[in-house]
Amino acid sequence: MHKIAEVEIQHDIMLANKKLAQRNQRMLDKAGVFTVDVLGAIGSGKTSLIEILIQKMDHKIGVIAGDVISKFDAGRFQKYNIPVIGLNTGKECHLDAHLVEHAFEDLPLEEIDLLFIENVGNLICPVDFELGSHMRMVVVSVTEGDDTVEKHPLIFKDADLVVINKIDIAEAVGADEEKMASDARKLNPDVEVIKSSLKTGEGVKEIIKAIGDFMD
Amino acid sequence: MHELSMADAIVKTVLDAAEKNQAEEILEVTIEIGKLTMLNPEQLRFLLGVLTEDTLLEGAEIIIEEIPVEIKCHSCNYAGSTNLDDSDHYLMIVKCPECDERNLEIIAGQECNVKNIRIEKPE
Repeated sequence: MHKIAEVEIQHDIMLANKKLAQRNQRMLDKAGVFTVDVLGAIGSGKTSLIEILIQKMDHKIGVIAGDVISKFDAGRFQKYNIPVIGLNTGKECHLDAHLVEHAFEDLPLEEIDLLFIENVGNLICPVDFELGSHMRMVVVSVTEGDDTVEKHPLIFKDADLVVINKIDIAEAVGADEEKMASDARKLNPDVEVIKSSLKTGEGVKEIIKAIGDFMD
Repeated sequence: MHELSMADAIVKTVLDAAEKNQAEEILEVTIEIGKLTMLNPEQLRFLLGVLTEDTLLEGAEIIIEEIPVEIKCHSCNYAGSTNLDDSDHYLMIVKCPECDERNLEIIAGQECNVKNIRIEKPE
Protein backbone atom coordinates (compact mmCIF):
# COMPACT_ATOMS: atom_id res chain seq x y z
CA MET A 1 0.00 0.00 0.00
CA HIS A 2 1.09 3.52 -0.73
CA LYS A 3 0.15 6.82 0.73
CA ILE A 4 0.44 10.35 -0.48
CA ALA A 5 2.40 12.68 1.80
CA GLU A 6 3.24 16.33 1.70
CA VAL A 7 6.78 17.14 2.80
CA GLU A 8 7.72 20.66 3.86
CA ILE A 9 11.17 21.58 2.59
CA GLN A 10 11.42 25.39 2.87
CA HIS A 11 14.93 25.55 1.49
CA ASP A 12 15.69 28.98 0.05
CA ILE A 13 18.60 28.64 -2.32
CA MET A 14 19.22 32.39 -2.26
CA LEU A 15 19.33 32.28 1.53
CA ALA A 16 21.75 29.35 1.44
CA ASN A 17 24.12 31.49 -0.65
CA LYS A 18 23.63 34.41 1.71
CA LYS A 19 24.57 32.29 4.72
CA LEU A 20 27.71 31.09 2.95
CA ALA A 21 28.53 34.71 2.11
CA GLN A 22 28.21 35.63 5.79
CA ARG A 23 30.58 32.79 6.65
CA ASN A 24 33.04 34.09 4.05
CA GLN A 25 32.85 37.54 5.59
CA ARG A 26 33.55 36.18 9.07
CA MET A 27 36.60 34.40 7.68
CA LEU A 28 37.79 37.62 6.01
CA ASP A 29 37.19 39.62 9.19
CA LYS A 30 39.19 37.12 11.19
CA ALA A 31 42.06 37.39 8.71
CA GLY A 32 41.77 41.20 8.69
CA VAL A 33 41.17 41.37 4.94
CA PHE A 34 38.90 44.15 3.66
CA THR A 35 37.16 42.88 0.54
CA VAL A 36 35.68 44.72 -2.41
CA ASP A 37 33.39 42.99 -4.92
CA VAL A 38 34.01 44.67 -8.28
CA LEU A 39 30.99 44.47 -10.56
CA GLY A 40 30.19 45.79 -14.00
CA ALA A 41 29.52 44.86 -17.60
CA ILE A 42 32.05 43.34 -19.96
CA GLY A 43 34.47 46.06 -21.03
CA SER A 44 33.42 48.62 -18.41
CA GLY A 45 36.98 48.85 -17.08
CA LYS A 46 36.92 46.58 -14.01
CA THR A 47 40.25 44.89 -14.72
CA SER A 48 41.98 48.15 -15.70
CA LEU A 49 40.75 49.85 -12.54
CA ILE A 50 41.97 47.02 -10.31
CA GLU A 51 45.36 47.15 -12.08
CA ILE A 52 45.62 50.87 -11.29
CA LEU A 53 44.55 50.33 -7.68
CA ILE A 54 47.17 47.59 -7.25
CA GLN A 55 49.83 50.08 -8.35
CA LYS A 56 48.57 53.15 -6.52
CA MET A 57 47.11 51.92 -3.24
CA ASP A 58 49.37 51.49 -0.29
CA HIS A 59 48.06 48.08 0.76
CA LYS A 60 48.96 44.43 0.52
CA ILE A 61 46.51 43.58 -2.24
CA GLY A 62 45.24 40.24 -3.52
CA VAL A 63 42.79 39.54 -6.34
CA ILE A 64 40.27 36.86 -7.14
CA ALA A 65 39.65 37.14 -10.87
CA GLY A 66 36.35 35.59 -11.81
CA ASP A 67 35.45 35.05 -15.43
CA VAL A 68 34.08 32.42 -17.73
CA ILE A 69 37.75 31.86 -18.60
CA SER A 70 39.75 33.63 -15.95
CA LYS A 71 43.31 33.19 -17.23
CA PHE A 72 43.24 36.41 -19.27
CA ASP A 73 42.43 38.77 -16.42
CA ALA A 74 44.39 36.73 -13.87
CA GLY A 75 47.42 37.02 -16.16
CA ARG A 76 47.10 40.80 -16.16
CA PHE A 77 47.16 40.90 -12.34
CA GLN A 78 49.99 38.39 -11.95
CA LYS A 79 52.39 40.89 -13.57
CA TYR A 80 52.32 42.83 -10.29
CA ASN A 81 53.61 39.90 -8.22
CA ILE A 82 50.65 39.80 -5.90
CA PRO A 83 48.51 36.83 -4.85
CA VAL A 84 46.00 36.15 -7.65
CA ILE A 85 43.45 33.38 -7.92
CA GLY A 86 41.67 32.82 -11.23
CA LEU A 87 38.15 31.50 -10.80
CA ASN A 88 36.69 29.89 -13.89
CA THR A 89 32.92 29.92 -13.86
CA GLY A 90 32.67 28.05 -17.16
CA LYS A 91 29.10 28.52 -18.30
CA GLU A 92 28.02 30.51 -15.28
CA CYS A 93 27.27 34.18 -15.47
CA HIS A 94 28.22 35.14 -11.92
CA LEU A 95 30.38 34.21 -8.95
CA ASP A 96 28.71 32.77 -5.89
CA ALA A 97 29.73 32.49 -2.26
CA HIS A 98 30.61 28.83 -2.62
CA LEU A 99 33.09 29.45 -5.45
CA VAL A 100 34.68 32.28 -3.50
CA GLU A 101 34.98 30.11 -0.40
CA HIS A 102 36.99 27.62 -2.46
CA ALA A 103 39.24 30.39 -3.76
CA PHE A 104 40.14 31.23 -0.15
CA GLU A 105 41.71 27.77 0.15
CA ASP A 106 44.42 28.82 -2.30
CA LEU A 107 44.70 32.49 -1.39
CA PRO A 108 47.29 33.40 1.28
CA LEU A 109 44.92 35.62 3.29
CA GLU A 110 47.60 36.26 5.92
CA GLU A 111 49.72 38.02 3.28
CA ILE A 112 47.10 40.57 2.24
CA ASP A 113 44.89 43.23 3.82
CA LEU A 114 42.84 44.26 0.79
CA LEU A 115 41.15 41.84 -1.57
CA PHE A 116 39.44 42.67 -4.84
CA ILE A 117 37.02 40.10 -6.22
CA GLU A 118 36.43 40.81 -9.87
CA ASN A 119 33.04 39.39 -10.72
CA VAL A 120 31.99 38.08 -14.14
CA GLY A 121 31.17 40.92 -16.55
CA ASN A 122 27.42 41.17 -16.08
CA LEU A 123 25.00 43.69 -14.58
CA ILE A 124 22.21 41.19 -13.97
CA CYS A 125 23.10 37.87 -12.37
CA PRO A 126 25.63 38.93 -9.71
CA VAL A 127 22.81 40.87 -8.02
CA ASP A 128 21.35 37.62 -6.69
CA PHE A 129 24.60 36.41 -5.15
CA GLU A 130 26.38 38.04 -2.25
CA LEU A 131 29.95 36.85 -1.87
CA GLY A 132 30.86 38.04 1.60
CA SER A 133 32.60 41.25 0.57
CA HIS A 134 32.56 44.40 2.72
CA MET A 135 31.94 46.76 -0.17
CA ARG A 136 30.34 46.53 -3.60
CA MET A 137 31.82 48.73 -6.32
CA VAL A 138 30.02 48.92 -9.67
CA VAL A 139 31.94 50.17 -12.70
CA VAL A 140 29.80 51.39 -15.59
CA SER A 141 31.19 53.07 -18.68
CA VAL A 142 29.57 55.76 -20.81
CA THR A 143 30.02 53.52 -23.85
CA GLU A 144 27.32 51.22 -22.51
CA GLY A 145 24.80 54.02 -23.08
CA ASP A 146 23.58 56.57 -20.57
CA ASP A 147 20.39 54.60 -19.89
CA THR A 148 22.38 51.66 -18.47
CA VAL A 149 21.97 52.69 -14.83
CA GLU A 150 18.20 53.07 -14.98
CA LYS A 151 17.90 49.81 -16.91
CA HIS A 152 19.72 47.84 -14.21
CA PRO A 153 18.46 49.37 -10.99
CA LEU A 154 19.04 46.49 -8.60
CA ILE A 155 22.81 46.33 -9.02
CA PHE A 156 23.07 50.07 -8.46
CA LYS A 157 20.69 50.01 -5.51
CA ASP A 158 23.00 47.58 -3.71
CA ALA A 159 26.25 49.39 -4.59
CA ASP A 160 28.44 51.25 -2.10
CA LEU A 161 30.45 53.00 -4.80
CA VAL A 162 29.55 53.65 -8.43
CA VAL A 163 32.32 54.52 -10.87
CA ILE A 164 31.18 56.06 -14.16
CA ASN A 165 34.11 55.37 -16.41
CA LYS A 166 35.43 56.52 -19.81
CA ILE A 167 34.00 60.01 -19.40
CA ASP A 168 36.75 61.32 -21.74
CA ILE A 169 34.78 59.83 -24.64
CA ALA A 170 31.26 60.58 -23.40
CA GLU A 171 30.71 63.24 -26.03
CA ALA A 172 31.98 61.01 -28.84
CA VAL A 173 29.51 58.27 -27.93
CA GLY A 174 26.69 60.72 -27.22
CA ALA A 175 26.31 59.80 -23.55
CA ASP A 176 25.41 62.10 -20.69
CA GLU A 177 27.48 61.05 -17.67
CA GLU A 178 25.56 63.46 -15.43
CA LYS A 179 22.36 61.58 -16.20
CA MET A 180 24.05 58.30 -15.25
CA ALA A 181 25.24 59.80 -11.96
CA SER A 182 21.83 61.22 -11.16
CA ASP A 183 20.11 57.90 -12.01
CA ALA A 184 22.45 56.11 -9.58
CA ARG A 185 21.69 58.61 -6.81
CA LYS A 186 17.98 58.34 -7.49
CA LEU A 187 18.13 54.59 -6.90
CA ASN A 188 20.54 54.76 -4.02
CA PRO A 189 20.53 58.11 -2.20
CA ASP A 190 23.59 57.34 -0.05
CA VAL A 191 25.84 55.97 -2.77
CA GLU A 192 29.08 57.67 -3.66
CA VAL A 193 29.35 58.29 -7.40
CA ILE A 194 32.72 59.07 -9.02
CA LYS A 195 33.21 59.99 -12.66
CA SER A 196 36.46 58.70 -14.04
CA SER A 197 38.64 58.17 -17.03
CA LEU A 198 41.19 55.47 -16.39
CA LYS A 199 42.92 56.63 -19.55
CA THR A 200 43.55 60.19 -18.34
CA GLY A 201 43.63 59.30 -14.64
CA GLU A 202 40.67 61.50 -13.78
CA GLY A 203 38.79 60.29 -10.73
CA VAL A 204 41.36 57.70 -9.66
CA LYS A 205 42.40 59.63 -6.54
CA GLU A 206 38.76 59.94 -5.52
CA ILE A 207 38.18 56.22 -5.99
CA ILE A 208 41.20 55.41 -3.81
CA LYS A 209 39.93 57.81 -1.16
CA ALA A 210 36.41 56.36 -1.28
CA ILE A 211 37.70 52.81 -0.76
CA GLY A 212 40.01 54.05 2.02
CA ASP A 213 37.14 55.84 3.75
CA PHE A 214 35.07 52.69 3.58
CA MET A 215 37.87 50.64 5.12
CA ASP A 216 38.11 52.97 8.12
CA MET B 1 20.11 34.35 -16.54
CA HIS B 2 21.32 31.78 -14.07
CA GLU B 3 18.31 29.52 -14.32
CA LEU B 4 20.47 26.47 -15.03
CA SER B 5 22.38 26.62 -11.75
CA MET B 6 19.18 27.39 -9.85
CA ALA B 7 17.34 24.52 -11.52
CA ASP B 8 20.23 22.24 -10.64
CA ALA B 9 20.13 23.33 -6.98
CA ILE B 10 16.35 22.86 -6.88
CA VAL B 11 16.58 19.34 -8.31
CA LYS B 12 19.27 18.36 -5.79
CA THR B 13 17.23 19.79 -2.88
CA VAL B 14 14.08 17.97 -3.96
CA LEU B 15 15.75 14.61 -4.65
CA ASP B 16 17.53 14.79 -1.32
CA ALA B 17 14.27 15.44 0.55
CA ALA B 18 12.50 12.73 -1.44
CA GLU B 19 15.14 10.19 -0.54
CA LYS B 20 15.04 11.09 3.14
CA ASN B 21 11.29 10.58 3.11
CA GLN B 22 11.42 7.25 1.24
CA ALA B 23 9.49 8.67 -1.70
CA GLU B 24 8.73 6.22 -4.47
CA GLU B 25 7.28 8.92 -6.64
CA ILE B 26 7.27 12.69 -6.58
CA LEU B 27 3.91 14.01 -7.67
CA GLU B 28 4.30 17.74 -7.19
CA VAL B 29 6.93 20.33 -6.32
CA THR B 30 6.11 23.87 -5.20
CA ILE B 31 8.76 26.53 -5.66
CA GLU B 32 8.46 30.17 -4.61
CA ILE B 33 10.29 32.75 -6.70
CA GLY B 34 10.69 36.36 -5.60
CA LYS B 35 9.56 38.89 -8.17
CA LEU B 36 12.88 40.70 -7.96
CA THR B 37 15.14 37.71 -8.59
CA MET B 38 16.86 37.56 -11.92
CA LEU B 39 15.04 34.34 -12.71
CA ASN B 40 12.58 33.79 -15.50
CA PRO B 41 10.00 31.21 -14.32
CA GLU B 42 9.40 29.85 -17.82
CA GLN B 43 13.09 29.23 -18.45
CA LEU B 44 13.37 27.68 -15.01
CA ARG B 45 10.45 25.36 -15.77
CA PHE B 46 12.02 24.31 -19.07
CA LEU B 47 15.38 23.56 -17.47
CA LEU B 48 13.76 21.64 -14.62
CA GLY B 49 12.13 19.49 -17.28
CA VAL B 50 15.51 18.79 -18.89
CA LEU B 51 17.36 18.11 -15.64
CA THR B 52 14.74 15.80 -14.16
CA GLU B 53 14.75 13.32 -17.03
CA ASP B 54 15.37 9.79 -15.71
CA THR B 55 15.11 10.92 -12.09
CA LEU B 56 12.38 10.43 -9.50
CA LEU B 57 11.28 13.95 -10.36
CA GLU B 58 10.52 13.21 -13.97
CA GLY B 59 6.92 14.04 -14.76
CA ALA B 60 6.19 15.73 -11.43
CA GLU B 61 4.00 18.78 -11.58
CA ILE B 62 6.07 21.92 -11.03
CA ILE B 63 4.15 24.71 -9.33
CA ILE B 64 5.86 28.09 -9.34
CA GLU B 65 4.44 30.72 -7.00
CA GLU B 66 5.54 34.33 -7.19
CA ILE B 67 6.54 36.14 -4.01
CA PRO B 68 5.63 39.82 -4.27
CA VAL B 69 8.02 42.60 -3.40
CA GLU B 70 7.91 44.12 0.06
CA ILE B 71 9.92 47.07 1.23
CA LYS B 72 10.74 48.81 4.47
CA CYS B 73 11.07 52.57 4.40
CA HIS B 74 13.74 53.96 6.69
CA SER B 75 12.19 57.43 6.52
CA CYS B 76 8.62 56.73 7.70
CA ASN B 77 9.00 53.12 8.91
CA TYR B 78 6.37 51.85 6.50
CA ALA B 79 6.79 48.13 5.86
CA GLY B 80 4.78 46.15 3.39
CA SER B 81 3.84 45.94 -0.24
CA THR B 82 5.03 48.56 -2.61
CA ASN B 83 4.14 50.56 -5.70
CA LEU B 84 3.03 48.30 -8.47
CA ASP B 85 3.11 50.04 -11.76
CA ASP B 86 3.79 47.82 -14.72
CA SER B 87 4.90 50.74 -16.86
CA ASP B 88 7.80 51.36 -14.50
CA HIS B 89 8.69 47.98 -13.06
CA TYR B 90 11.35 49.32 -10.71
CA LEU B 91 9.36 52.19 -9.22
CA MET B 92 8.57 49.76 -6.43
CA ILE B 93 12.13 49.71 -5.14
CA VAL B 94 12.72 53.39 -5.68
CA LYS B 95 9.92 55.24 -3.89
CA CYS B 96 8.04 54.57 -0.67
CA PRO B 97 4.29 54.33 -1.42
CA GLU B 98 3.53 56.17 1.83
CA CYS B 99 5.96 59.08 1.99
CA ASP B 100 7.62 59.13 -1.46
CA GLU B 101 11.08 58.98 0.12
CA ARG B 102 13.77 56.84 -1.46
CA ASN B 103 15.45 55.34 1.58
CA LEU B 104 14.14 51.81 1.06
CA GLU B 105 15.26 48.36 1.99
CA ILE B 106 13.91 45.33 0.13
CA ILE B 107 12.56 42.82 2.63
CA ALA B 108 10.85 40.32 0.32
CA GLY B 109 10.94 39.42 -3.34
CA GLN B 110 14.45 38.01 -3.65
CA GLU B 111 13.78 34.38 -2.75
CA CYS B 112 14.15 31.09 -4.58
CA ASN B 113 12.52 28.78 -2.10
CA VAL B 114 11.81 25.08 -2.55
CA LYS B 115 8.63 25.11 -0.48
CA ASN B 116 7.30 21.58 -0.42
CA ILE B 117 6.79 18.36 -2.34
CA ARG B 118 3.95 15.89 -2.59
CA ILE B 119 5.19 12.34 -2.72
CA GLU B 120 3.98 8.79 -2.82
CA LYS B 121 5.57 6.57 -0.21
CA PRO B 122 5.00 3.11 1.32
CA GLU B 123 2.52 2.90 4.19
